Amino acid sequence: MTKTEQQFDFSYLRGQREPQSVLIAVGGGKGGVGKSFVSSSLALLLAHRGFDTVLVDLDLGSANLHTYLGQGPTQKGINEYLLQPELKFQDVISPTPFPHLRFVSGASEQLNVSTLQEGQKGRLMSALYNTPADFIVLDLSAGAHDTTLDFFLMASRQVIVMTPEPSSMENAYGFMKAAFYRKLKRHEKQLRLGGLLGQLMAKRQELGIRTPADLLQMVLLKEPERGLQLKKVMRDLSFEIVLNQARSQNDANLGPSIKTVCNKYFGVSANLLGSLDYDNAVWQALRKRRPVLLEYPHSRLYTQLTTISRQFANVPFKRAVV
Amino acid sequence: MKNLAIHSQSYYDILEVSPQAPPQEIHRAYQRARLAYSPDSPALYTMFTPEEAKELLRLVEEAYTVLGHPERRKAYDDQLAREQTLNELPDFPEPSPEMLESQPVTPPKKDLPEGYARTRLSTYLVDPQFEQELRQIRDFNGAVLKRVREYKKISLDQLCDETRIGRPYMTALEVDDYEALPAAVFTRGFVVQVARIFGLDEKIVADSYMKNFKKYKN
Repeated sequence: MTKTEQQFDFSYLRGQREPQSVLIAVGGGKGGVGKSFVSSSLALLLAHRGFDTVLVDLDLGSANLHTYLGQGPTQKGINEYLLQPELKFQDVISPTPFPHLRFVSGASEQLNVSTLQEGQKGRLMSALYNTPADFIVLDLSAGAHDTTLDFFLMASRQVIVMTPEPSSMENAYGFMKAAFYRKLKRHEKQLRLGGLLGQLMAKRQELGIRTPADLLQMVLLKEPERGLQLKKVMRDLSFEIVLNQARSQNDANLGPSIKTVCNKYFGVSANLLGSLDYDNAVWQALRKRRPVLLEYPHSRLYTQLTTISRQFANVPFKRAVV
Repeated sequence: MKNLAIHSQSYYDILEVSPQAPPQEIHRAYQRARLAYSPDSPALYTMFTPEEAKELLRLVEEAYTVLGHPERRKAYDDQLAREQTLNELPDFPEPSPEMLESQPVTPPKKDLPEGYARTRLSTYLVDPQFEQELRQIRDFNGAVLKRVREYKKISLDQLCDETRIGRPYMTALEVDDYEALPAAVFTRGFVVQVARIFGLDEKIVADSYMKNFKKYKN
């Protein structure tokens, strides 16, 4: 462990105190399914409702979230925070032209998720955990790298973005499976289940374990008490699905099916936040480098996004008086 | 191959509804599940193999056959409640709230004291003499209905709320004010609803009431 790591490993603080905000992680495996679009729109809408919101670009290595906000790269970002131990996280949060919305850029040439060291990751996670705000929205990178999964699992709201294309669904499912097993592994150790999971997985053919739900059920049979505890902690994991780029009613109808299948497969709750239409407005607005929400406030997309954001902060609608 | 977790789930878990779910919700959940596990459902991709999906679909059908039918559902609820009691036997460590939560239990109906009976809306003291009389009545008019209602301890408000029949109509029904009642088909519908709540033979009640009604109208 290097000196800087020793000095700034705050990870012991996490878990001993409550997070200082509601952390929303937006992940989903495949690239190009709209994670950045969903997270930036969500952050904008929450900020618009008056919540102090921080949008964090965790797509290290290929960060471009600032473009979705219609901004150029910022002076300081996660890159500087990680490389300069004397910086505080507050220093790298930059203001945006939008009220209540602040932004942490992830733009960097030197770092990416796979080169992030354990100490750096711990310091960043503690900083996210301890930053006071109403909401912190984390835009995760594509792929199911361990670091990405850790950021995903630390959040209290775990949003999965997918599109109705089979490749996207496959990756999103893969991401969920990876997240599930990573969490399971961590708690296996904490609950001192020994190598039980490994043993069960080795014999999964004979035991008929096919899905994570089966695995949990089997643990429950073998170790009733700790199995229950395991089931309980696994329940913290709840996938909240956003179906993006729905091009037809058929696509949109897929949402409930995905939710049902996830519920059965994982045995932990999966929830459908909503589906978003495929809309040319998105790339048109991106070309103009303006947030879609400001450029096309009368689109159906706006309504759908509002519906989704309202599941994070349930504020009553303002009614028009006519 | 047997799918472990699924086979240990109750029919309610399989359809993902709460044990208190009303019939419409169960039907909707059934349609949703059938769509999700249908052979050409894109949502299954990389999660369940076609054979597993087929098995799931079979379980969904099985669950709906039971839960979609009021009597079979009731029998199943009773069975679940019994299994719940069995689960509480010693060889299992103290059941935690989670465990109880995962097994739906329908609260057992409290038995009434001797000599009492219940309707959907009330509990009343059984009067054998009146019951006897009631069985003989073949001519139900408003006054008789009112007597039955009072005997069964149902207030006019309760009855109106339950049947969603307006109070003016309900009063008219009880005082045989045929002028104030709507057209024959509607009036018959009202009488049938009331008879059902009272636990009377709806055909006898409605036929006799409507005979008087039509006699008056002609």
